[in-house]
Amino acid sequence: MTETLTRPPVNTPPPPRKPTKRRRRAVAEEPGKRWLIHVPLVVYLLFTLIPFYWMIVFAVRPTGSTQLVPWPITLEHFDTVWNDIGFGIFFYNSVMIGLGVLVFVTILSTMGGYALARFKFRGQRVFLLALLCTQFIPGAMMLIPLFVIFKGAGLLNSLTGLVIAEVAFQLPLALILMSGFVRNISYELEEAAMVDGCSRMRAFFAVTLPQLKPALVAVGSFAFIGAWNQFLFALMFASRQDKFTLPVGLSYALGEFNTDFGALAAGGVVAAVPVVLVFAVVQRFLVQGLSAGAVKG
Amino acid sequence: MRRLLVAVAAAALALTACGSGETGGGDGKVTITFWDNNGGPARTPIYEELIKRFESANPNIHVEYVGIPSASVQQKYDTAIAGGETPDVGGVTTSYLAHLVGQEALAPVDDRINSGPLKDKLLPSLVETVRQTGPDGKLYLVPSSANMDVIWYRTDWFKDAGIEPPKTWDEFITAATKLTDTAANKYGYTIRGGAGSVFQLITEAYAYSGVDNFYEGGQSTLNDSANAELVDKIAKLYKKATPEADVNNSFTQMIAQFTGGSIGMMHHNLGSYSDVTKALGDKVAAIPLPVGPSGKRTVVPNPTDGFAVFKNSENQDAAWKFAEFLTSSESNSYWNEKVGQIPANTDVRSAAWIDKAAHVKMALGVMEDPATILVPAPVYLPQYSSITKTDSEPQYQKVLLGELSAQQFLDDMAKKLTEAQKEWEERK
Repeated sequence: MTETLTRPPVNTPPPPRKPTKRRRRAVAEEPGKRWLIHVPLVVYLLFTLIPFYWMIVFAVRPTGSTQLVPWPITLEHFDTVWNDIGFGIFFYNSVMIGLGVLVFVTILSTMGGYALARFKFRGQRVFLLALLCTQFIPGAMMLIPLFVIFKGAGLLNSLTGLVIAEVAFQLPLALILMSGFVRNISYELEEAAMVDGCSRMRAFFAVTLPQLKPALVAVGSFAFIGAWNQFLFALMFASRQDKFTLPVGLSYALGEFNTDFGALAAGGVVAAVPVVLVFAVVQRFLVQGLSAGAVKG
Repeated sequence: MRRLLVAVAAAALALTACGSGETGGGDGKVTITFWDNNGGPARTPIYEELIKRFESANPNIHVEYVGIPSASVQQKYDTAIAGGETPDVGGVTTSYLAHLVGQEALAPVDDRINSGPLKDKLLPSLVETVRQTGPDGKLYLVPSSANMDVIWYRTDWFKDAGIEPPKTWDEFITAATKLTDTAANKYGYTIRGGAGSVFQLITEAYAYSGVDNFYEGGQSTLNDSANAELVDKIAKLYKKATPEADVNNSFTQMIAQFTGGSIGMMHHNLGSYSDVTKALGDKVAAIPLPVGPSGKRTVVPNPTDGFAVFKNSENQDAAWKFAEFLTSSESNSYWNEKVGQIPANTDVRSAAWIDKAAHVKMALGVMEDPATILVPAPVYLPQYSSITKTDSEPQYQKVLLGELSAQQFLDDMAKKLTEAQKEWEERK
């Protein structure tokens, strides 16, 4: 050890960062070399967008057509999924479940996450560990126990049941995320509010909650999308056609012997639109929310 | 934490009221639930029509239709059985029949068939395959239609090449090679190398070898040298008379290639009738799998479709009435005409549409021919699908790529099937 320390410094190569930096800047500034950035970006963009393009092409071109640019456009597949497969009802069910899960997961995880971050109670660590462990259990394993419980409670074939199942499934991770967010908000502000005469409740609503906005958006939108894409519970707990959801409806287009690609693609478009809209609206908050824990404020 | 618990409990309690409450009203009307095991836009409207007819003939029975996506139907049944919430009537195929019977979920229907209008009206070969699938020789479902493996071929390609549709495997190989023109992106045949490949291969192997039993003295006959010969012949066609991408083909890709117009012959079953005719019209027809040097016609039957009455049903009589209605000659005829499969009710044979549906007539001829030997695959084995799919499909891809010999491949699979059969016999 000492030997290494006392040994005269060997010829260290010059720090390698500077030249790279200079070169990178040069690439960006020289207009002739812009393509070095843009070409990979375009390739990447195509890679992500082509599947979407295919979905839209299949959705709007007539069955049997092989055109790459669909013209004339037909809406027959949308008619099939909306009227024949019943996407109208499925869409309504998915929206209701998504909103229900969003509301419950956001409220419960905010309250629970706050408690986990701010209060000390016996068994706290064990509780956190238990929350983490629930993530290891695949949904399929909880299927039959949940089914039996729901049957006893009369919750089969109801949207309420699906909301409860999905909330139960999403809450652990939302709680862990939320308590992390709360921990990153300085407690001193709340304390100061309480010194000024606020109750703890009021301090929470007036001081902490507004700062949690990005977290609420992140947790809420993930809850919505998670519920929106939920397939297994919706298929298993609902045995009535009018309680099925969009992902179940999509699988109708995949028959045992035949696949209706047009209907499948049109259904995919219908199912993707709300998700795209949600992300378009909240993505600004989302980046904020997800990186909130990265840098201590 | 307490607040959280209270909130969840309150939410659950407050909303329990919206739960189910669907059992029939006080007007003496019975509601039965019917699960369609392959729900979707292709089949749902046919059932809706049949249910309408049934309800107008039986005004005191209401049928609630639930279409289950075919890929998840077995899991749905399992969950329903475990939770005691099975439907009254369900569409069931022999591929998971043994599994349902093993859980004692179904009511036997022998007596009901024998004491009603369906007596002696069901295709004997179908009844026999259903009977063999059950562990105790009883009938747990009333068969409604059968599917059969066929070769779909392009009539126009054969005409242009001046050759006849093949009757033997050797003619088949010659035709596949002859129809191939790689420069024009035309291939004589397409191999199913991906999901579901091995079942098709087994049907081909037995059709070629003429081996008439799946087990001989408890030993699987799958590795018979004649079976290996066929596997070898098919593997030799790969890339010569088939597209290179075939090694990953599941039936969707296979059909997409065929309907896209670049394939001369495709081995699939009657189920793809609507897809291939929609795309190719009268330029497509079906022949049975060719025979081998033995000259015998051996057929490994496809899973048989039918209707089962569930043991837990509170309205078993009404449930049976509906199942019986669905297999009556009129309903059975309507149903099979629409989906293009072999009707189970023998009265349907004289229906006018059969004469026009050449592929059904051909398949019916094979099924009814006394010379046809049925070799049912042991689908009742709990390990059957893991052996033939999970274990063997990747191995078959190796055979296609020339990394494994056909004989070695079949030896491995036969060994596993023999062991599984032995275990099953011991447990019986």
